[in-house]
Amino acid sequence: MTGIATDYRRELDIRRYPLAVYVLVPLAALVLQAWLPRLLGRFAYFDLPLLVVLYFSLIRRHPIHGTLLGAILGILQDGLTQGAIGIHGVANSVCGFLAASLGIRFVVENALLRVAMNFAFTLLAELLVVFVTRGVLGLEMHWNLLAQVLVAAGNALIGLVLFPLLDRLQIRS
Amino acid sequence: MESFFSRHRNLIVLLAVLLAQIIGLAVQVRRPTREQAASVAQRLATGSLRDQGGVMLLRLWAAGLVTPPERLFHAIDIGAVHLWSGYLDLVHLRGQNQQLQKTINQLRLEQAMLIEDARQGQRLQALLHFQQSYPGKTLPAQVIGTSGNLQSHLLFIDKGSADGLRTDMAVISADGIVGKVRDVFPHTAQVLLINDQTSGAGVILEKTRIRGILRGDANGQTEVVGILADSRIQPGEQVLTAGGDQIFPRGLAVGTVTRVVRDPDSSAFIDVILRPAAALDHLDEVLVLTDLQSELPAEMEQDIAASQQQQGAAASAELARELARRKAAEELAERLPGLTDPNAPVASGTQSATQPGSQPATPPPAPRPIPTLHPDRFSPGYDANSGAATDATSGSTPAQTASPAAAPATRPPASGQKPQQRSQP
Repeated sequence: MTGIATDYRRELDIRRYPLAVYVLVPLAALVLQAWLPRLLGRFAYFDLPLLVVLYFSLIRRHPIHGTLLGAILGILQDGLTQGAIGIHGVANSVCGFLAASLGIRFVVENALLRVAMNFAFTLLAELLVVFVTRGVLGLEMHWNLLAQVLVAAGNALIGLVLFPLLDRLQIRS
Repeated sequence: MESFFSRHRNLIVLLAVLLAQIIGLAVQVRRPTREQAASVAQRLATGSLRDQGGVMLLRLWAAGLVTPPERLFHAIDIGAVHLWSGYLDLVHLRGQNQQLQKTINQLRLEQAMLIEDARQGQRLQALLHFQQSYPGKTLPAQVIGTSGNLQSHLLFIDKGSADGLRTDMAVISADGIVGKVRDVFPHTAQVLLINDQTSGAGVILEKTRIRGILRGDANGQTEVVGILADSRIQPGEQVLTAGGDQIFPRGLAVGTVTRVVRDPDSSAFIDVILRPAAALDHLDEVLVLTDLQSELPAEMEQDIAASQQQQGAAASAELARELARRKAAEELAERLPGLTDPNAPVASGTQSATQPGSQPATPPPAPRPIPTLHPDRFSPGYDANSGAATDATSGSTPAQTASPAAAPATRPPASGQKPQQRSQP
């Protein structure tokens, strides 16, 4: 596994992106998340906003940014549902924070590592959603583990393609 | 203290964010009191449970952020589908178009063939009906060509000498006469139409019974020539074959008079322009009269026999009357040879013969002449030997019945009395 030492991270440059990327990519993720299920129906096994949160958190390696980005995108995701606003915000905030924290310690350039992290964080986000809904808010929620696993797998595969594409948008100094 | 916040800044921010969201969630989903539970349940049941103002604002922002791109995506989707289906996904369209065009052409051809078959069937049906009703023997033939010359109105038919055709056979259709066979080949024949300048046929006008010669003019019109100027000929009159040309049988339709013009060669004659009864320019099937003296159909023979039977009974009655008239005239001539005209008709005999139950063989008594007071040799029934007049009715002389001296003393007998009785004292 490449570069898991902290000293190695310091030697890397922090990637920077144009401001439009920070705005348009999350917005596109939200729109696609709302629009693609019309085409794919019940086979829409992905969570694109979470994938964008994970990417920017891992690349930027800034937990606060990851937390805020996760909170904003999560709240917007909740805003598109009939449920309480903040459930996905909490989950995405936690995932963004953890991803950014891992990004400080690990260099995630390896594709397999990205797939594993995407799968794990997506599953974690789903678990957090269930936890917040059921445990914190005490609301009823039917939960299908297989569907959550499929969502996690879908995110892992999409991240395998999406992350290299987003890497091309960075500003190289 | 400052180092604590700076050291755990990330975690503090995370906790703050989480705490804020949890508080927000708690505000949204806070449990109602027992008094509010019923109303909340009712609002949930009726779907009238609304979010609070801040939550609504967040939903509005989320929707306002996502729906415009979604609308754009939807428009792009529609446009892309339209672009793909209408412009790009046209790989097989040209081939399909050609195939459909071929199908359309084939269907049009089949439709035209069906229409033509239907028309031909109607024509053949009419021709067959005419052939069955026509007493002469006919041979149907198809028109297969023309002369191709405007000055030569000829047709070629698909029957020839092998089929029994000969020259000068009449060619007709169900509508009227067409022409006559001009040349006969083994399997084809040439038909000279009636509107050709070299054709000719004897015709008669139906109402005026004026006869003429049918021929064609330089323009391909059919006209009747050789007619003296007669104001009775009017447009619309039918023209029939006269039957005197030994080609066309009598009574076939020739055409209709359209107008009458003066003969340019002679002012005393007129030309009657006809509209041919047969469509000479659009002939497809014709009938060739192969035998003019053919036997009549059974029905027509029965009709003719019945007609002749009726006519025979009337003729026999007329003959009997004629015989009675002749017999009465003969007897009258025998009895009154000087008074009766043998050629004059006998009215009394005719009247008696027409009465039912009368005996036409017994003539009524003839009128008796007045006896001559002084008969001489010029008196009827005068006997030169005896010097007395004989009775015209009995044939005997007055000397045989009465003396000549007593005769002048008698008055003239009344009608019906015999002279013998009158001469008796």
